[in-house]
Amino acid sequence: MNWFGFGFNGFGQIQRHEKSTAGESNRDVKLTKPITLDVCRNLESTQICQQNSNITHIRASWSRIVALHSNSHGRLRLAGFGVWTAPQKCGVEDSRECQDADISEEHMALSFRDRVEIWSLRENKPVWCMEVKTSDNTGPSLAFPLVPGGYIASRSPFYRPLSPQLLAISLALGTQHAVLLSASGVVYTWGCGSHGQLGHGDLSPEEEPRALEALMGLQMSSVAAGGWHSVCISAGGDLYVWGWNESGQVGLPSRSLRGGQLKTQCAGSASTCKDQENSDEVFISIQAFPALVDVTELCEVSKVSCGSRHTAAVTSSGDLYTWGWGEYGQLGQGNMSSSDEPKQVRFFKDQGLRVLDVVCGPWNTFVSAVKEDPPHPEDLSSALTI
Amino acid sequence: MLIHFYWLDPTVLFFPQHLPMAGLWSAIFAALPVTEADFPLDFSEKIEPSLVEVLKQCRQQLYSGRCQWMQDAQIILDFSWEKLNTGTWRDVDKEWRCVYSYGCLFKVASLCREDASAVKVQEAIRTCDMGLLMGASIMDNVLQRIIRILQNKVWKSHYKEDPNEGVSPKKLKVDCDPVIKQALAVPRIRCPSLERFKNDYLDTQKPVILEGIIDHWPAFKNHPWSLEYLQTVAGCRTVPVEVGSRYTDENWSQTLLTINEFIDQYIVKNTTDLGYLAQHQLFDQIPELRDDILIPDYCCLGDGDEDDITINAWFGPGGTVSPLHHDPQLNFLAQVVGRKYIRLYSPEDTDKLYPHQSQLLNNTSQVEVESPDIEKFPEFVNAPYLECVLQPGDVLFIPVKHWHYVRSLELSFSVSFWWS
Repeated sequence: MNWFGFGFNGFGQIQRHEKSTAGESNRDVKLTKPITLDVCRNLESTQICQQNSNITHIRASWSRIVALHSNSHGRLRLAGFGVWTAPQKCGVEDSRECQDADISEEHMALSFRDRVEIWSLRENKPVWCMEVKTSDNTGPSLAFPLVPGGYIASRSPFYRPLSPQLLAISLALGTQHAVLLSASGVVYTWGCGSHGQLGHGDLSPEEEPRALEALMGLQMSSVAAGGWHSVCISAGGDLYVWGWNESGQVGLPSRSLRGGQLKTQCAGSASTCKDQENSDEVFISIQAFPALVDVTELCEVSKVSCGSRHTAAVTSSGDLYTWGWGEYGQLGQGNMSSSDEPKQVRFFKDQGLRVLDVVCGPWNTFVSAVKEDPPHPEDLSSALTI
Repeated sequence: MLIHFYWLDPTVLFFPQHLPMAGLWSAIFAALPVTEADFPLDFSEKIEPSLVEVLKQCRQQLYSGRCQWMQDAQIILDFSWEKLNTGTWRDVDKEWRCVYSYGCLFKVASLCREDASAVKVQEAIRTCDMGLLMGASIMDNVLQRIIRILQNKVWKSHYKEDPNEGVSPKKLKVDCDPVIKQALAVPRIRCPSLERFKNDYLDTQKPVILEGIIDHWPAFKNHPWSLEYLQTVAGCRTVPVEVGSRYTDENWSQTLLTINEFIDQYIVKNTTDLGYLAQHQLFDQIPELRDDILIPDYCCLGDGDEDDITINAWFGPGGTVSPLHHDPQLNFLAQVVGRKYIRLYSPEDTDKLYPHQSQLLNNTSQVEVESPDIEKFPEFVNAPYLECVLQPGDVLFIPVKHWHYVRSLELSFSVSFWWS
């Protein structure tokens, strides 16, 4: 397994900025195509750690990434802002047995079997700790940032309780809203609703988790949250998206994208402009209810993740699709265009790679992939006889 | 109001490409602090250190002149833009609005760094306006100062390829002119004394049209407001425009256009699309226009300071509609160009006006005033009202919480003063 990254690289968090001989740094800020992560390079600065393949989790903030390695007893490694200049910060000390982590601009949360620690990234030390008694948790297994009885937020108060009746099994935190999945496949949302990100059909905030009525009766299997939009996957592999479609992140026609195209055409000739305006295009600025988005007709969606204004999904066939804001190359399409419809990232197919997982940072995207197994000879022969 | 169109005459038009742009960078650089050390970038802990590093990088590049800093300026703009859109506008920390303004400043400096073309200067003006619209004042209002420098370079950038197309502005929609029933007419009074206005209207919260109190405005006398005048003073300035007939409509949206673009696309052109420069604090953005108007003396009867008065511009073609709604403050609506039909309902009759249920539109009625759905809103026809056609020079006093419906009958420019 190998991890790739693309998109915003302003702090060298994907690919370290090389110093040129003049001492000026040559900054590749926008990486528009997937490249292998540099995150392992920092421990012994010259030696590239071969096992990028041992990364089990990647989490990204705007300026940094944190990678969790399986081969070093759950040791975390950081890359990005303030890391390359101070190599001692690269491997987070005392992170042995760490099971999961999350990172924001200010803090990093480390989840261990028996405790959760919050580290201040300004001070590079733990500032908060909470004991976790695994025996307390009799319910379903919890995915971080869920902890028994509640969840861990990126801002103080770090621990926030949740009603046990929700039977939460996973939780996605957006910039100002939360999307929760219950053991029975019901989705709950709460927080700021200014851009339809809660999916209840209006723009009002919700203080307490509120079940998403529009999806009642459909069992959901996975949730994700971006800056102002939310996504979930049904048990049948369908994708539902709602919230702000400013950059096409919901995957529906966006006025700012199509309007932009229209303007470029207008500059050329006035007549094209008129024709365009007359066509009955419907634009979605805010999608306040969940909308079923067709990623591809061929197969189901298995994984999904949201950046601040983009979305990435993995299909059961191992393909990656991206859409939304693309100014920093975060769609991996080799350009800096935004898109309001899902597009396949050709790179992986072309390289014979099967995509397993995707994790978005605010302005970038991280993907794990394996070499596609060559077709089994027996399968081939049976295919031929048919 | 006479509207001159000699800007459409190609002999009068000139695009300032021949103007010397070389002095532009030195003029802009002179508006900045002399050295890097004098250029302030002091932020509290709310601004993440990673972003502060990008800001400092920009500043360093600006003074060393070694590199292009456009990319970093854009990063600052994109990052702070996300912060400005997080939560409700009034909860956004002012420091983030300052950061956004710094992003605009760096971008403008980058645009004008080398021989700036007319297109780049236009882009720079637009960037300054974005800073004025969404940012906060930094470095002694440097963006306002830079706009002045840029505008001196671009006297008049309005350019029309085909002057024969769409020359006539939207004609008066005479067929839509309502007949005002005398019994329902808003009373009119000419230059009442402060005391008379206070006793008869302010204290009793009764609407009235004040005549003759704004005739002395430079907007009427010294340089009468016209399309031509607006284009000369502010044609290249970017303003927010509402698109769609009314803000309660589903396809209503807001967009940013220059005043020239707005006039071309929504006023001069014969189009069914409606655009409205509505409820915008244009006069804070463009001081030249602020000098053309004066705060009515009657506002001194209020409790607040002059600074607490919100002045908004309302500029658009005939046919713009503000649905029936009320505002939390007293209002003087001054009509400068064109006429507007206005209907007023007392707060006592709110129960007959069917306000929207949602928190956001709670101050707005669901009823289409001039063609009400009487099956859905049966009580509406029983609500008593007053009406008027506001003429240029008229000022309508709208008491607090009084419901008002406004439709422009032709090209119109109004100025509202919200006070308490």
